[in-house]
Amino acid sequence: MGRILIVDDTLFMRTLLKNILFSGGHEIVGEAGDGTEAVEKYQALKPDLVTMDVVMPKMNGIEALKEIKKMDPGAKVVMCTAVGQEQMVKLAIKSGARGYVVKPFQAPKVLDEVKNVLAS
Amino acid sequence: MVESEFEQYRGLFVAESRENHEVIVRNLLILEGGEDPGAIDEIFRAAHTLKGASASMGFDTMEHLCHAMEDVFQAIRNKDLSVTQDLMDLLLSTVDIIEEQIDEIEEGGDGSSINVDEMVESLRRATGNGGPAETPLKTEVPKTTSLPAIETLNGNPHYTIRITIDESSLMKDVRALIAIGNLEQFGTIITSDPPLLVLEDEDAPFDGVLTIVMESDAGAEALRSAASGTEVSEVFIEEMGHGDTPAERSTIPDLPGYQMIISVEEESAMKGLRACISLERLEECGTILSCDPPREAVEDGLFDSNFQLTIATGQDPEELKKAAMVPEIRSVDIIPLKSQEPAGKKASSAPQSREQAPKKKDESKSREIKNLRVDIQQLDRMMNLIEDLVINRGRLKQIAEKNKMKEMDEAISMIDRSVSDLQVLMMDIRMIPLNHIFNRLPRVVRDTAHYDGKDVNFVMEGGETELDRSVMDGLNDPLLHLIRNAVNHGIESPERRREIGKPEKGLVQLSARRDRDNVIIELRDDGAGINVEKVKAKAIERGILSPDMADQLTKEDAISYLFHPGFSTAETITDISGRGVGLDVVRGAIESLKGTIRVTSHEGKGSTFELLLPPTMAIVEVMIVRLNNRRIAIPISAIVEVASMRRENIHRIGTQDSILLRDEVLPLHMLEEMFGRSDSTEILIVVQYNKVKCCIAVDLVEGQQEVVVKPLSRIIGVIRGISGITILGDGHVVPVLDVNTMV
Repeated sequence: MGRILIVDDTLFMRTLLKNILFSGGHEIVGEAGDGTEAVEKYQALKPDLVTMDVVMPKMNGIEALKEIKKMDPGAKVVMCTAVGQEQMVKLAIKSGARGYVVKPFQAPKVLDEVKNVLAS
Repeated sequence: MVESEFEQYRGLFVAESRENHEVIVRNLLILEGGEDPGAIDEIFRAAHTLKGASASMGFDTMEHLCHAMEDVFQAIRNKDLSVTQDLMDLLLSTVDIIEEQIDEIEEGGDGSSINVDEMVESLRRATGNGGPAETPLKTEVPKTTSLPAIETLNGNPHYTIRITIDESSLMKDVRALIAIGNLEQFGTIITSDPPLLVLEDEDAPFDGVLTIVMESDAGAEALRSAASGTEVSEVFIEEMGHGDTPAERSTIPDLPGYQMIISVEEESAMKGLRACISLERLEECGTILSCDPPREAVEDGLFDSNFQLTIATGQDPEELKKAAMVPEIRSVDIIPLKSQEPAGKKASSAPQSREQAPKKKDESKSREIKNLRVDIQQLDRMMNLIEDLVINRGRLKQIAEKNKMKEMDEAISMIDRSVSDLQVLMMDIRMIPLNHIFNRLPRVVRDTAHYDGKDVNFVMEGGETELDRSVMDGLNDPLLHLIRNAVNHGIESPERRREIGKPEKGLVQLSARRDRDNVIIELRDDGAGINVEKVKAKAIERGILSPDMADQLTKEDAISYLFHPGFSTAETITDISGRGVGLDVVRGAIESLKGTIRVTSHEGKGSTFELLLPPTMAIVEVMIVRLNNRRIAIPISAIVEVASMRRENIHRIGTQDSILLRDEVLPLHMLEEMFGRSDSTEILIVVQYNKVKCCIAVDLVEGQQEVVVKPLSRIIGVIRGISGITILGDGHVVPVLDVNTMV
């Protein structure tokens, strides 16, 4: 079970993810609504894992991922993506993302992915 | 999503979807005014979010539509599609449908009763008919080449590789990066043109031709296959001879090799990405020597259910299996290779970053959430509870006074302060900036002007002015109506404006400001103004004004006939502003908010509608009077003066009692039919509404206080003359007079 930072620009998605992760026994240590906030919160909270939306205002998920990886090369980041964003996610994986989940979220898949990345 | 789970998100979904909808509309209008990359980015993000959220909630119809719309925005963003008037109309109608769907979803539906097929089809046609991709402007790119660290060169042959990416590729730079990534597997890249940094920068232009100089011992054919891939139209390779440093193959340790067969679950949504993760993780364990199908194809998902690779690694098969087994990977089979040619660049000797610094549990977890969304019904309930508190505080006060309990007085004064603060706070919480409804208006102006063939510049200011939510709710419709009127009937056609020497673009200005206890909203247009004679003629034609009276009317009085029920000066009822609803409805709506509306107009120069609104409806300062031993509350805002009554000044004119007060004859209301006959009326309360005065006779004035006005319950219905009730400190229920209906 891990301490997780949720990054998404909509409260709706964050709530959805929060409930899924919470049901899996994880602790949600923080939420961020854009990339800049994500980087700040990562630094402050040092979570075990970050779920990262791709399309966000200010700083998008890929840039935020790169920033986080710069700070902590061991950071575990799972991208949240939608069908049609494969290229972006590929870029994210090349930049150090450890996994991804596809919207609409399916609770078992999300938990599986998170568990796997936490164990890696 | 499971039904029960699903309901808890509905409110949130609706609220955020509305926000995103608004973002789209607002930015579409910006976009219509001219190209704006910021606006299209905003739109794209909002549309993308809408799509994702509706998919998550299982609102398939909405997702379907959002998806088609997102594609159009994507095409606009990529400059494959230019924004024309027709496209803008199509997009605006699309967001209208989305809004309808949100409405339906809010009411408990799933948005599927609205047929979107036609719209989706139109959107698809729009993207399909979009002209060929304009090639991005080729601006000067810094041709800096990065020098490799000398020690990475092993004296292997050098190659120049020129990769041409397909013209039709939507993400040429990503393709180039993938090619570089693949080539890196086979050696060391010495220079890249354009440099990696330029390729990684989304905004930097890239014309699709990438030139790489690299050192490799893998041979030209291996490099060719690494560099080719989806959307790569041409790969040109030239061998340049050996590097300066002598070959030192011995620096690469001989590692055992393995063949791995990895199969991915069939229902995996993006199996290419799964493979990508698996490969990335394997790469942390060792060096991937080959991949079949080629790695890039695998990462693009171009394989059936499994792919094969060979890897040189110092780790045991179990470790490899663990690394490769990411979610949705069905199985990993590992076969050790008998003898392995050490090849490729140096294999990573040890798994990196296994030992991360022990994670400190942060004691001061800053889990602050600065904003909360609250269901408005909960706020309403809270408001009610606070109102009850206010009432009971009054009762307590009276009890303490009656029983002369000093100690209790103190406690009550403490409660008093808390309750007052609570009340003020609650009022603040309920306040919403006017932008809430203002934001929709540019769209309304645009549509109305468009429909009418008018050219209008719409300016808004003061949107940050706050109003109670309940006032806001009632303001939307009348405001819409007034704005449509201004464009429809106020602003002249561009031709007409040119004729009379006005700028072709009409001006409609909406402003809001706080003025002491009121919020003033002003709508000004520089259109034709109100033709007083036309108003009079129409009033006469409608039989609501006699010709004799018409001659005596002042300009202002004549204009006030605009608000007469059923009056409309518009020659034709248009689809947009007509609908047979007149200004009387607007006035009624504003009055029900305890507000007033005023018009000033100069023919040929334009009109101004001024709405005066209380920021909140719930708390009103009233004068408590007694009549026939009953108490009545009269809103202070309506009272002009209090005078003593002289019976000899009362005259009966027709069926109406009147009274002479100083030099004015005012209608007098005894309110007998409401409160019974009283013989001891001595006081005159002069009230005024819309500049018309009248008097109410009462027995005595008891005092003045702030009260919470509660509406009459539905069971009682509407009682003429009474706008609501209030409960005083002693628990008595007192009616609040509705002055508007008296004058």
